[in-house]
Amino acid sequence: MNGNGSGQPNLDRVGRLALGVGVAALILCALEWRANPTQFFRSYLLGYMLWLAVALGSFGIVMLHHQVNGKWGYLLRRPLEAAAQTVWTLMVWLFIPFFFGLPRLYSWAQPATVAGEALPPFKSAYLSVPFWVGRTIGYFAAWVIFIYLLNRWSWRQDEQGDDDRRWLGKMKKLSAAGLVLYGFTVTFAVVDWIMSLEPQFFSTIYGMIYIVLPALAAMALATIVVRLLARYDPVSNVITPLDFNDFGNLLLVFVMLWAYLSFDQFLIIWAGNLQDEIPWYTSRAAGGWGAVALVLVLFHFAVPFVLLLSRDVKRRMTALSAVAALLLVMTWVDLFWLIVPAFHPAVPSLHWMDIVAPIGIGGLWVWRFTSQLKQRPFLPLHDPRFEGVYGHGE
Amino acid sequence: MPVGIEPQDLELAPGHNYGTVTDKISDIVLKEGTGKWWKAGFAVAIALLIVFHYGVVLLMTYGVGVWGVNIPVAWGFAITNFVWWIGIGHAGTLISAFLLLMRQRWRTSINRFAEAMTIFAVACAGMFPLLHLGRPWLFYWLFPYPDTMGTWPQFRSPLVWDVFAVSTYLTVSILFWYLGLIPDFGTMRDKAKSRAVKIVYGILSWGWRGSAIHWERYEMAGLLLAGISTPLVVSVHTVVSFDFTIAIVPGWHSTIFPPYFVAGAIYSGFAMVLTLAIPLRRWYHLEDFVTLKHLDNMAKLMLATGMIVTYAYVMETFMAFYSGNPYDRYMMLNRFFGPYAAVFWTLIGCNLIAPQALWFRRVRRSPWLLFVDALIIQTGMWLERFVIIVLSLHRDYLPSAWGMYYPTKVDWEVFLGTIGLFLTLFYLFVRLLPMISMSELRHLVHKTQAEEVKA
Amino acid sequence: MARKRPLYGLMAEFETPEQLLAAVRRTREAGYREIDAFSPFPIENLGEAIGFHRTRLPVLVFIGGLLGCSGGFFLQWWPNVIGFPINVGGKPWNSWPAFIPITFELTILCAALTTFFGMLALNGLPTPYHPVFNVERFEVCSRDRFFLVIKARDRRYDVVTTREFLEGLNPSRVMEVES
Repeated sequence: MNGNGSGQPNLDRVGRLALGVGVAALILCALEWRANPTQFFRSYLLGYMLWLAVALGSFGIVMLHHQVNGKWGYLLRRPLEAAAQTVWTLMVWLFIPFFFGLPRLYSWAQPATVAGEALPPFKSAYLSVPFWVGRTIGYFAAWVIFIYLLNRWSWRQDEQGDDDRRWLGKMKKLSAAGLVLYGFTVTFAVVDWIMSLEPQFFSTIYGMIYIVLPALAAMALATIVVRLLARYDPVSNVITPLDFNDFGNLLLVFVMLWAYLSFDQFLIIWAGNLQDEIPWYTSRAAGGWGAVALVLVLFHFAVPFVLLLSRDVKRRMTALSAVAALLLVMTWVDLFWLIVPAFHPAVPSLHWMDIVAPIGIGGLWVWRFTSQLKQRPFLPLHDPRFEGVYGHGE
Repeated sequence: MPVGIEPQDLELAPGHNYGTVTDKISDIVLKEGTGKWWKAGFAVAIALLIVFHYGVVLLMTYGVGVWGVNIPVAWGFAITNFVWWIGIGHAGTLISAFLLLMRQRWRTSINRFAEAMTIFAVACAGMFPLLHLGRPWLFYWLFPYPDTMGTWPQFRSPLVWDVFAVSTYLTVSILFWYLGLIPDFGTMRDKAKSRAVKIVYGILSWGWRGSAIHWERYEMAGLLLAGISTPLVVSVHTVVSFDFTIAIVPGWHSTIFPPYFVAGAIYSGFAMVLTLAIPLRRWYHLEDFVTLKHLDNMAKLMLATGMIVTYAYVMETFMAFYSGNPYDRYMMLNRFFGPYAAVFWTLIGCNLIAPQALWFRRVRRSPWLLFVDALIIQTGMWLERFVIIVLSLHRDYLPSAWGMYYPTKVDWEVFLGTIGLFLTLFYLFVRLLPMISMSELRHLVHKTQAEEVKA
Repeated sequence: MARKRPLYGLMAEFETPEQLLAAVRRTREAGYREIDAFSPFPIENLGEAIGFHRTRLPVLVFIGGLLGCSGGFFLQWWPNVIGFPINVGGKPWNSWPAFIPITFELTILCAALTTFFGMLALNGLPTPYHPVFNVERFEVCSRDRFFLVIKARDRRYDVVTTREFLEGLNPSRVMEVES
């Protein structure tokens, strides 16, 4: 029990501040829309994908927790649930602008391409605008239903009596199905939204890399949030350095998985050297983009990996949060490296909106996130798996 | 006991103490001797081992031409069996290493024989690339040593990576297994009645005496080896998948192969663990140690890895069409409708349809249904490797170079023979070594008791 | 029975790990330093109670891994760049992506060998002869009993008072260990 575990965080103030910053940044971008609409959509895509990754990753980790249990998930569950909820309280609506900018982003959506340098028949049918829009609606529908039910049942669990395992059982079952659904929808969504920026490229591992990337980002954000909540009741009564050790180990697993999958793709394409695939890396792994890739190797893998091996780092809340913050920044760099070479294959190009748009969407996101988070206790009540944990500090 | 845990959820049946668990496991080796099940099984194993020798003698006498391999299908059964066997080993390492890191207690009573399974499976796997060399006695050419010609292995080739990966895997698996056995050899030495047996186990235990400081270093070594083995086990099947993906053959050159192979390996491995565990717990009355909870957990892991394999099939199929590459598309159509379509659809039935039964708790908790499902999945995983190798090679880029592959009698003899080799080793293991870690069981008893006191 | 050799120490037997842990702590408090405890499975905090701190093993393993890693890469880099460069498939001489798998495997191999043999070496195993095995009763130490030994070379050791001290710890029995 910590002595300083009194008072409550002022989430309202954080939310208002974030909203202010977010709206201001988005207004700046909206002004630029008139002058440079193509760049607006490119930067908007980058910002959108970053925050969608955090939201979707949270959704995935909540479901993973319901399958494997573990105290770490009990401590992270509320922040993760609040983050997942932003998918339908915010991200669905922020997707709408894309429908007005498809030809500016995707070459396959431009009439000239459809008529001129024809895509192969399957691909041109698959990447037709109506089908693409239909799929997009499908992904969101699936996510919204699952996230809504999981949150609702979690809410019910808070209200229930002590020995009731009914809601837990329902959440477990839904999560099992949800993880399967998650794998497929996230994969096809990144193929549609990011991979098709370069319609000639394809890679079967691609979706899997971007199942892991959001999980890493979400885990990093949740670690930071729990570190901030650990100053207050009731989290301060329950949390120990050992729990941060667990968070650190999970981050380590995700960092290693990300590096493993990314290296697999690189080595196979490098060795194959085939004309369909290799251009994706000749732009991204050489010259200026190569330097960005090196930054990723060092700071999205090597440095966090070494730091996360150390027990001393993992057990110090602030040190671990610093590593998590680094990983969040690197998620942005990774998406930058992933998306922007599609538009500027030769040399890296950083437009000011590539930074401001993520901040703008991030501001709105944090606002929605905090207003979700404050509505419920920071730790789930009446989770039959962790009754002992909760009572511990009282 | 945490609230809401029912007796069938226990990793260890109630009523055991340090003495009973030790006696139960050590008596199987020291007192019970060879039972009729063991004798019958061992006879079958030896018979199959003789078949293996017969096949290998034919192979050595006449060369690899006695197999069905040809050009274009130069890999045939040999590499199919290699990948199948090495994949089976992966579950053993995963249980002993990854579940240790995850502090999963249910690994305790299955890790020993799962590790044994790993070592024997890797030994069987190693046979095939060796025999497939054609001149197996020159295998040392694969290792880097300063030879008189000044030449070196082709380090850019995944086949050389494989030599390093598999030999590292075998070495580390043996180290991990032996590490776990050291305190148990001490127990066997102390419990044995005959002087000769005492001396043998005494030497094997290297004078282990259970000193507190020794235990500290011992536990640290176990954790470190677990931390080292977990990425190793992933890397091994990754390197095996590079044997295919580094080439540019349609059906092989697919970026998802590494995680897909690893998941498939664990999938078939857990199927093999179940195939071994279910009869063992019955014949040796180990239901107290290998409980329904163990079976249930393994079934769940099998389902999870099975779903990853399903995901990989979907991605392969989707990208074959999405890519717009005519060779990739033809490869996929050839799987669906080509001359080996029956094999492909059987594989889909075994690997995709059969595991769906595991969504149901009743199936996961009925040992014999689980046993049947595990056998089906192992068949499916063998067929998967057959499909990847034969169906990709027999029709690649150039139609004039297409051909068919049919296994010969010797192919089957060598394949079934390695099952004999595996079983022989496994029966000897069950007879001579404690098949569940006694020191870890005692530790588990201690933890369970401590929790009961708390509750 | 005539004793031929001097005593190695005195041994007390306990029924539970908790008793052993408490006994070890009291023995340390009484000023004994040359002591050892034996148990059929690892007991939390026992090593610390006996005066043992963090083992050096992780550092050794890290060094072993580092050697394997650099050695593994050099093993491939040298023949391909210096010793016998050959153009294979137009790949560069220093084809570092292709060298990573073997580098990784050798890192693992060296780290694992260091772990295993490092543990044995630090523990002084194999030990062909050790006095504790002269006590016939010690054979249950690998089954279900817990033992504490105060060695004769401890400065505070005295045949009579040490024995009395051990009896005072409430063991199931106290035995002499011949060296």
